[in-house]
Amino acid sequence: MHQTIALILKSYAAILFLENRAAGAVLMALTFLHPNVGASGFFALASTILFAEFARMRQAYLEHGFYLYNSLLVGMGIGYLFSPTPTSFVLIFLLSVLTFLISFMINTLFSPRRIPTLSLPFSIVTVIAYLAALNYAGLFSTLVQMHHLAEITLPPSIGAYFRALGTIFFLPSHIAGIVMALLLLAISRIMFVMSIAGFYTGTAIHALLIGSWSMALSDPYGFNYILVSIALGGVFLLPLRHNYFFALLGVALSVVFVDATKIFFNYYAIPVFTLPFNTVVMALLFLLATIGYEGFNRVIKSTPEESLAYYLQTLFRFGPRVPNTGLPFTGTWNVYQGFDGKWTHKGAWRHAYDFVIEKEGRTYKNEGNLPQDYYCFGESVVAPVSGYVVSCRGNLPDNPIGTVDRINNWGNYLILRSDEGFFVELSHLMQYSLAVKEGDYVHVGQIVAKCGNSGYSPQPHLHIQVQKAGFLGSETVAFRFGAYRIGEKMFFNDLPPLHEPIDSVLPSPNLQMQFGFVLDETFSFDLYKNDRCVDSVTWKVDMNHLGEFYLTDGDNRLYFHTTPTLFYFYHYEGTESPLQKLFALAPRIPLTMAEKLRYRDYLPLYLVEPKSRQLFVEFIASFVPSRYKREFWYTMHAFSIHSSFGTVVLSANRKGFEEIRYDQTVLRRRS
Amino acid sequence: MKYQKPTINRVDFAMMSKYGSPLKTQNIRTNISGIEVKELVEKYGSPLFVFSQKEIEEKFHRLKDAFTSRYPDVAFGWSYKTNYLNAICNIYHKLGSCAEVVSEFEYEKARALGIEGKDIIFNGPYKPKEALKTAVAEGAKIHIDHLFEINDLEEIAEETGVRIPVAIRVNMDTGSYPQWNRFGFNYESGEAFEAVKRIHEGGLLYLTGLHSHIGTFMLDAEAYGTETAKLIRLKNRIEKEFGYTIEYIDIGGGFASKNRLKGIYQAPEVIIPTPDDYAQAITEAIYTHNEGEKLPRLYLETGRHLIDEAGYLLTGVQAYKRFPDGTKGYILDAGVNLLYTATWYNFTIELDRHYEGINEPSTLNGPLCMNIDVITDHIMLPPLERGSILTISPAGAYNYTQSMQFIRYRPPVVLIDNDGKVHLIKEADDLETVNFKERLPEYLKLR
Repeated sequence: MHQTIALILKSYAAILFLENRAAGAVLMALTFLHPNVGASGFFALASTILFAEFARMRQAYLEHGFYLYNSLLVGMGIGYLFSPTPTSFVLIFLLSVLTFLISFMINTLFSPRRIPTLSLPFSIVTVIAYLAALNYAGLFSTLVQMHHLAEITLPPSIGAYFRALGTIFFLPSHIAGIVMALLLLAISRIMFVMSIAGFYTGTAIHALLIGSWSMALSDPYGFNYILVSIALGGVFLLPLRHNYFFALLGVALSVVFVDATKIFFNYYAIPVFTLPFNTVVMALLFLLATIGYEGFNRVIKSTPEESLAYYLQTLFRFGPRVPNTGLPFTGTWNVYQGFDGKWTHKGAWRHAYDFVIEKEGRTYKNEGNLPQDYYCFGESVVAPVSGYVVSCRGNLPDNPIGTVDRINNWGNYLILRSDEGFFVELSHLMQYSLAVKEGDYVHVGQIVAKCGNSGYSPQPHLHIQVQKAGFLGSETVAFRFGAYRIGEKMFFNDLPPLHEPIDSVLPSPNLQMQFGFVLDETFSFDLYKNDRCVDSVTWKVDMNHLGEFYLTDGDNRLYFHTTPTLFYFYHYEGTESPLQKLFALAPRIPLTMAEKLRYRDYLPLYLVEPKSRQLFVEFIASFVPSRYKREFWYTMHAFSIHSSFGTVVLSANRKGFEEIRYDQTVLRRRS
Repeated sequence: MKYQKPTINRVDFAMMSKYGSPLKTQNIRTNISGIEVKELVEKYGSPLFVFSQKEIEEKFHRLKDAFTSRYPDVAFGWSYKTNYLNAICNIYHKLGSCAEVVSEFEYEKARALGIEGKDIIFNGPYKPKEALKTAVAEGAKIHIDHLFEINDLEEIAEETGVRIPVAIRVNMDTGSYPQWNRFGFNYESGEAFEAVKRIHEGGLLYLTGLHSHIGTFMLDAEAYGTETAKLIRLKNRIEKEFGYTIEYIDIGGGFASKNRLKGIYQAPEVIIPTPDDYAQAITEAIYTHNEGEKLPRLYLETGRHLIDEAGYLLTGVQAYKRFPDGTKGYILDAGVNLLYTATWYNFTIELDRHYEGINEPSTLNGPLCMNIDVITDHIMLPPLERGSILTISPAGAYNYTQSMQFIRYRPPVVLIDNDGKVHLIKEADDLETVNFKERLPEYLKLR
């Protein structure tokens, strides 16, 4: 029951792209300003749930909000036009079922292309409903007279905005509009600003085209501008400067669309409603999703601010969304050629790296006349990713220095299909040095071959690229290296520069075991304040329904993730606690052995800033993303991690953390 | 171009092989770590042993990183017998290595260099009881080779009233040939386990470590995987049955250097395992098989792999002649008296500069008036001149410690430090050194 109420409230909020239940409750109450609209909408919701239960599709409407909010809109649309009579309720029920069917169809067709269903089902069903209703004489007798809501007087240029906002819920009233605007402002500043910017941009363009500002202001379909503006300026695209342009462009397009549709629809007395919004937003998203646009919002959170925070946090911490591979060697090597290289990394093969070993500026000893004079010749090549060997060759000879094999460009090679699904190719391997064969599974860091001089290779070097497909010569794609070191400094998800000695980072099985937390494992600590034991805390490893793991002290949750080379925390839920401190103290732990490591990490705003400042920074960050950066340096040395927050000591011979020190507080692990 | 007497060469092998033309390619080395070989010879004479500290350290860090990046607790013991020049030992000690000795002499040498007993691993089949006593008193890690040593140590334990921590050496079949089974107790026959049982029943000693050394110049890294797996399985069994805590395993030495074994065609870079190959095989075996709560400390006694390539022997051409079979014969001032490893290795021979003329089959002979003094009996070299300097490498392992004062004096040794400064670390012998401690009975003196 509790769940059903939550679901119903959420579907009201979802019409305004919100998730907040309280907002849903306010909006639901608001619809009853016009009792017909309120009742019909609610009935439509109930009908849909009833049908979904009957069709045994509970999971569908639980997971996807659009099943419910489309019906809700259809119900309100009918209620806006016809008085509640048994006939109208029969119609609402039927239309709800139809909405459900069409929603399912549209979603099934569009979701593989990452296009949201939006309120397109509503737009289609209302056209059908209004056309059909022309035949139903019984209904027309109950045609609602323009219902006069309680109203306040506002200057037309301001009132028009609130009216348009209210119209989204079939409540063309200033009061409804003001309440909704306040809701938006309270929940998301970005959405609020976009609603205003969208409305007035659309109206201004409309005014320009039709030549009358007052006519443009009174256009009943101006709410489309608001919906387009919010959808593109923060919900489906990330709230970034570039996307605000897309949003306003979308608004301008919707003006033309509204005007065109009106001519045709008015002929059959069909209201235009949200068809322009749906069409324009879908068309734009179709383009942007298909080309893999960087500003596409891939993880939609409850507000644009949260989406942006998640995006920026992930971008700063883990780099852009491209494949990440390890380095294909151990020890210290140098970059000989990077992306868009001077010699061979061009065109379809521009995303590639060549590595050599350089000592005092030279890659060879003596005169460099023989392959074995080159420092990297014969060095171990290791698997940069875990995955399967999909293709390989090992019988080509290593070229004498200064000559190349123009026929077998790639020389001896290995192509691995990583567990994450991308392909990594390693080239110019030594003849007969392959330690693996097609079909073998390799672990990251496992020795797979020796560095050689086969193929188009004037001197021994190691070539790595990430490619689209598993065949030799496939087009390359941009990638990053998951981790590497330059001296003590560790870099994550980055591309190593030319002319610097690059140290590889091997995963340590020992540290992997230490951070291989298993469900229900517990870690107990005594908590000391100023050297007095005042409390004890116990953290347990747990998992939520999405399969995300977290540490919990019962109330708070600290989410973590483990890769073969990295353990990291990424989200905290709850109030102030030692668990929250742990996030700041050790946001990431490289699972690698090195005497000393220095690295930077970026913490989420909620860990380091007061709430008031958070709101401000979140808004500013949408224009200047770098303002979101909260950079901190960490030093990992002799099993402990030091930072300006304090120190975390890792256990030498058991899982987890041994000691956690911050401010005047010390947590000591119980034995 | 100077006139050269014409020669006839067989050209039945490819004119252009994989590694260039055998008739034209010259291996040239003008300097060692930035110091001209000519300059070195002018200053210190010829022959001359040269060590490069930079190359020693690079090699050490490479091996160390291969292990420490995979395993949390790794320790190195410098194998004294490989090269116990004081300066060389101390480079390794400063890099953090402890000492691995195999005789009372080496033990004393380590102590004299300031190494504490606890940082000495005492190996070897021959440990005089007096030496054992000292080692026990000073807390050295004693690796027992045979049952008599158990008896000796138990006697010492009774005398001193102290329970002595010990380790045993284990020999085993790791699939490589020849199998080294002379040292320690055999694994497969159960002898090793019986030895531990004996130690346990004696009650005067307790076991803290297991040691093995499977051979030398091992070309198969997997043999170490097998060795480590067997040691760890033995460790698991011992810990379970006797309640000992095995704190460390010592997998010995034997890693190959980039030297070219006689009878092997490929370049060392092709067939010699990399440090990563060894490290992966060994550490994986520990992770796979260890059942104890703690991971044991891993000791390595690597010698040859670390020092061989950092050592060079400079030698000058004294004369040349044409042998009746047409081969050119060079007489050098260094021979097998200084290059003990010439028995197994085809050394890398490098010229001090480019020489005119095409390569011809040549033989390099030492200065000894002995038919066996051949450094290499078939090498393609251009016509060299009197006074040409050849750099012979890798020559850092075993050659100096096993070199003889025979027929000629032993040469000096220099070390090039990290700043390119040359240090004389051992002077050349002279008559006084050779006569040192010799006693001539009065009646034999010539007057």
